[in-house]
Amino acid sequence: MAEYSCLVVEDSPMMRQLLVFALARIKKLNVTEADDGVDGLRKLASGKYDLIITDINMPIMDGLKLVKRIRSDAVHKDVPIIIITTEGSAEDRQRAMALGANAYITKPIQAPQVIAKVKELLKIE
Amino acid sequence: MAEKKGQKRRTQAGTSEAPLDLTKERETFVRTFLRKGVEFAEELLQENKHLRAELSRLQTENARLRTQVASDDAIRELLRTIEGLERERNDLIERSSELERVWRRYEGRYTDLENELNDLANLYVASFQLHATLSLRRVVRHIKELLLQLVGAEAFVIYVLDSDGKIAVPLGSEGIAEADVRPVAVGEGVIGEACFTGIAQVSHTAPLARGTLAAPLAVIPMMVDGRPVGAISVVSLLQQKNEWASVDRELFKLLGAHGATALIAANLYASAPGPVPALSGIRDNLVS
Repeated sequence: MAEYSCLVVEDSPMMRQLLVFALARIKKLNVTEADDGVDGLRKLASGKYDLIITDINMPIMDGLKLVKRIRSDAVHKDVPIIIITTEGSAEDRQRAMALGANAYITKPIQAPQVIAKVKELLKIE
Repeated sequence: MAEKKGQKRRTQAGTSEAPLDLTKERETFVRTFLRKGVEFAEELLQENKHLRAELSRLQTENARLRTQVASDDAIRELLRTIEGLERERNDLIERSSELERVWRRYEGRYTDLENELNDLANLYVASFQLHATLSLRRVVRHIKELLLQLVGAEAFVIYVLDSDGKIAVPLGSEGIAEADVRPVAVGEGVIGEACFTGIAQVSHTAPLARGTLAAPLAVIPMMVDGRPVGAISVVSLLQQKNEWASVDRELFKLLGAHGATALIAANLYASAPGPVPALSGIRDNLVS
């Protein structure tokens, strides 16, 4: 049975816990957490992930910079990325998608919406 | 031999006492009789031929009718089968409709359960994070995160009452210039009133427009032992949110009931040298 691995990059422990709770409902999905963009890069350097979920507003390295770095990384350049953010403007969405994000979800999140998007990107039935 | 027959006839005619015309008449009669016999025989043969033809035709007709009857039986049987299949089809359609109705009902129930599960997860995480630390800074941060990430509040202020309980002092805020956030007299304005009465004020206009510091969208008093000790004022929501979600009411209740206790516990702990000394005298306090 195939297993998928997902990296959640989020500085808010509350949001991180909520995302982990939601993702735990997807079978075969292993979730790794990262506190911010730099921690996210560190985790990406030491592992292989099938999906990345990241916030935008984070200290040290924000989510958009992280997306840029991921898209120039040989191992993870094609990995789907979901942005989950409080920024709800069309410009923010366009900027994120132009940098290479695959989906853009605004907070406050609805777990079913996140689950559906993850399944869609990982092609899980 | 024909000659002998002729002689015999002549002999009989010669010896008969019947007049010649009678003989002639008899011959005529016999000839007529024979001719008619022949004709009759021919007629019979014709009739026989005709009857044979008729018999053959009838036999053919009979065979055709038999085939038709058999065919009709087959058709009747087929019609019966079709009727049966039609009934079966109708039953299946009815059953399928019933299943669809049941499925829709379960789908609706499943969506409700999904939403309830989502709400419960929000509440669990909010409660867990609120009480996961005794650091005053972290407690304030968690209250802010709860408002920003779970409620979707863009601008808000957290007030606590000063020691004599007459002024609500801002403890933290988000989305508002610090200079604009000022203390509020208890009993004055929406915030002061909530701090005085302990009654929450939540706007229910739809869609929710941006509020102001003086007229926020929601004011949630923070209670301890039935007394208000502060309030949370939600001034505006994130641009993608223009109405309250069902879980927001529960999150406000959670903040109202647990926000102040988390703040008080963290504030008391701030003056303690560590977790173990913070427990000193706990048994005495439990008894008293």
